[in-house]
Amino acid sequence: MPVFKAPFNGYSVKFSPFYESRLAVATAQNFGILGNGKIHVLELSPGPPGVAESVSFDTADAVYDVAWSESHDSVLVAALGDGSVKIYDTALPPPSNPVRSFQEHAREVHSADYNPTRRDSFLTASWDDTVKLWAVDRPASIRTFKEHAYCVYQAVWNPKHGDVFASASGDCTVRIWDVREPGSTMIIPGHDFEILSCDWNKYDDCVLATSSVDKTIKVWDVRSYRAPLAVLNGHGYAVRKVKFSPHRRSLVASCSYDMSVCLWDYMVEDALVGRYDHHTEFAVGIDMSVLVEGLMASTGWDELVYVWQQGMDPRAS
Amino acid sequence: MATPSHETSEVTSPLTNEVTAEQESLPSVFKNSEPIREDQIQNAIKFLSHSRVRGSPVIHRRSFLERKGLTKEEIDEAFRRVPDPSPSSQTTVTSQDGQQAVSHVQPQGQIQAMQPAPVVMIPPPSLLSRFRWYHAALAIGVLAASGAGTAVFVKRSLIPRLKSWVRKIMLEEESDSLERADGKPSLAEEAVAAARAASAAASDVARVSQEMMKTKTEERKNFEDLMQLLGVQVQEMKSLSNNIRYLERNSNNLPKVYSANQEVYGGLVKTPAERRPYANGSNIDYDTRSARSTSPPAPPADSSVAPHPKSYMDIMSMIQRGEKPSNIREINDMPPNPNQQLPNPRIAPKAKPWDYGQAPQEEGSNGPWWQQKNPRSGDFGYETTSARSIGIQNETSTMEPAAIQKQRSWVPPQPPPVVMPEAAEAIRRPKPQAKIDQEVVAAAASDSNQSGVSDELQKVTKFSESGGDGSGRLQITEIQEETEKQHLGQEGN
Repeated sequence: MPVFKAPFNGYSVKFSPFYESRLAVATAQNFGILGNGKIHVLELSPGPPGVAESVSFDTADAVYDVAWSESHDSVLVAALGDGSVKIYDTALPPPSNPVRSFQEHAREVHSADYNPTRRDSFLTASWDDTVKLWAVDRPASIRTFKEHAYCVYQAVWNPKHGDVFASASGDCTVRIWDVREPGSTMIIPGHDFEILSCDWNKYDDCVLATSSVDKTIKVWDVRSYRAPLAVLNGHGYAVRKVKFSPHRRSLVASCSYDMSVCLWDYMVEDALVGRYDHHTEFAVGIDMSVLVEGLMASTGWDELVYVWQQGMDPRAS
Repeated sequence: MATPSHETSEVTSPLTNEVTAEQESLPSVFKNSEPIREDQIQNAIKFLSHSRVRGSPVIHRRSFLERKGLTKEEIDEAFRRVPDPSPSSQTTVTSQDGQQAVSHVQPQGQIQAMQPAPVVMIPPPSLLSRFRWYHAALAIGVLAASGAGTAVFVKRSLIPRLKSWVRKIMLEEESDSLERADGKPSLAEEAVAAARAASAAASDVARVSQEMMKTKTEERKNFEDLMQLLGVQVQEMKSLSNNIRYLERNSNNLPKVYSANQEVYGGLVKTPAERRPYANGSNIDYDTRSARSTSPPAPPADSSVAPHPKSYMDIMSMIQRGEKPSNIREINDMPPNPNQQLPNPRIAPKAKPWDYGQAPQEEGSNGPWWQQKNPRSGDFGYETTSARSIGIQNETSTMEPAAIQKQRSWVPPQPPPVVMPEAAEAIRRPKPQAKIDQEVVAAAASDSNQSGVSDELQKVTKFSESGGDGSGRLQITEIQEETEKQHLGQEGN
């Protein structure tokens, strides 16, 4: 299984929704504390080395997340540590990039997510407690959602309902929003500690998973949100990202500060179905390919990006 | 921005108020439909009425109630009922188009909602007046008495003394004037003596002033030493406080009193937040937060400290000392052409697997390495035991078609499980295979729903896989190859 070594610490990895062999990686210098950032676009190749960089973009500040456009195959959205949101066209050379830069967030932008149903807008979540809604061709944000009492770590669109999204925050709540409504429509006090990530079940539009500093992943049904459907224990430290599989309805992938990537089936009693210990530092980014079933990628502070098929050893050559 | 012509009608801009039928399928699911719970509101009112809570920012009060599980409506109701003179709402929504029907947007109130300060403690006026009069009377009496006393004293003692002293001087003057004529030489002597005395006095004064200077310089030296020592102590205390702060960060989930004097680093540096309730779920009343340090959720924020890399610690301590890591470059990452045209999309957006139940490839053994799956579809982790993986395989192989079929527009009938291996064999004989091939070609040519065909084939492969033996495998992969080629040909990847 190929591995890519980046110059900076990895923060996020995302597969392209257009090209099954393409993925983007967000990295930050000095662990994202202080320094530059870099976005890598990687291509998988059948022969060795298996993965290679096709283009990269340097940024003045850390890049915490990237999101591929769902409407334009070469367009990327980047979430930066200086509060800016930048749009890149990977078909243009680096000197012509970025094509847009929006400076609205007052603090670090921690996540970006593109709307997979409407394909014309995207969300950014920031440590300034807000979530903003944008369209690529507009010079300013369309809406700002300000209700959380602390950093918002992630905002994720619902895969079935193009107006609904969820946000995970350090104020220990998950909020469900509808862009047609002025405020949040639901508040789920999911954990007793900061909630670092959330993701919707692609096959059950009312189910979402949250991961927290309390080392657990909880799976919720928004119709009865007082108690979770499942609590997934097994990580040794905070769970940084959680992702529902695009192909299997109950399969959840997660990565944690215990340096492992885990696979869970939340409908099964013994939920942990797989564990990968390939990273040697915090594992902070994870993605599952929408185009190729079973294909996964992860990145961590060890500056490595692994791409592998479920069932294979990521470190196997 | 040109939208591809074949995009489905469900894709509408969020700017319009159009609501298509598709979106309205379950709009209320994402809203709270619970009735308001009176007991929760009562608890909230008790909380909000607490004197300490009243001094905290509104957003913290709301956040605390949210974490206790109250809904928005319950929180709003509690705020409404508690007699709070300050503006209570926090919701701010900026809508640049102004097209949203903003029904319950409340203006952003002061975040620092403080009680009007009833600070001045005015003692009861009666008491004061009493004191005033009493004190005034007493003061006047005392003054009068003292005045009278001094007058008497002066009259009796001072004036006679004064008189006697004046008489004395006059007598002396008289005697002086008598002796003056004889005393001229003695005057000169006296002058000399006076001069000598003066010089002696001057030298005395000089000496004294010198001594004073000496002591002054000594004192200054002492003072400087003291200052140095103080400086050293301040340095030590600074480093101590840094260490404490670092330790605090690391043990973030321990019970902590939130200090109001937190240092906030400059915007460049991200240091962890320092507000945390108790570790084991017991509650504190509320979070008070006067300054928020910026935070990665990261390293220190666990109940057990996640050991972070040594170089991370090095960088953190470097920054705390005020140094900047040397590897940072000046980069201009602003758009060279802010009006750069966005590219025209070269590929049409692909359907998501959950939209159309697109059948995932079971065995792409002839594709590039990233398409090659483990032969046992359920074996996710190479570390899992074989027993578990087989169990999962059985589960998922039966679960998955059902899950995918739910989403599709037409549902092929569920094929019966294989009872007789011979039947599975019969399927794989050349004659039926040609039939299947023809189906594939026909389906591809007419551009109908490919996934239906492939799904059928998939089912064939699936239960032949579970019920059949190894001999059928070659032929199955042949069928798969056919469909793969069709897929590839169609999608033009």
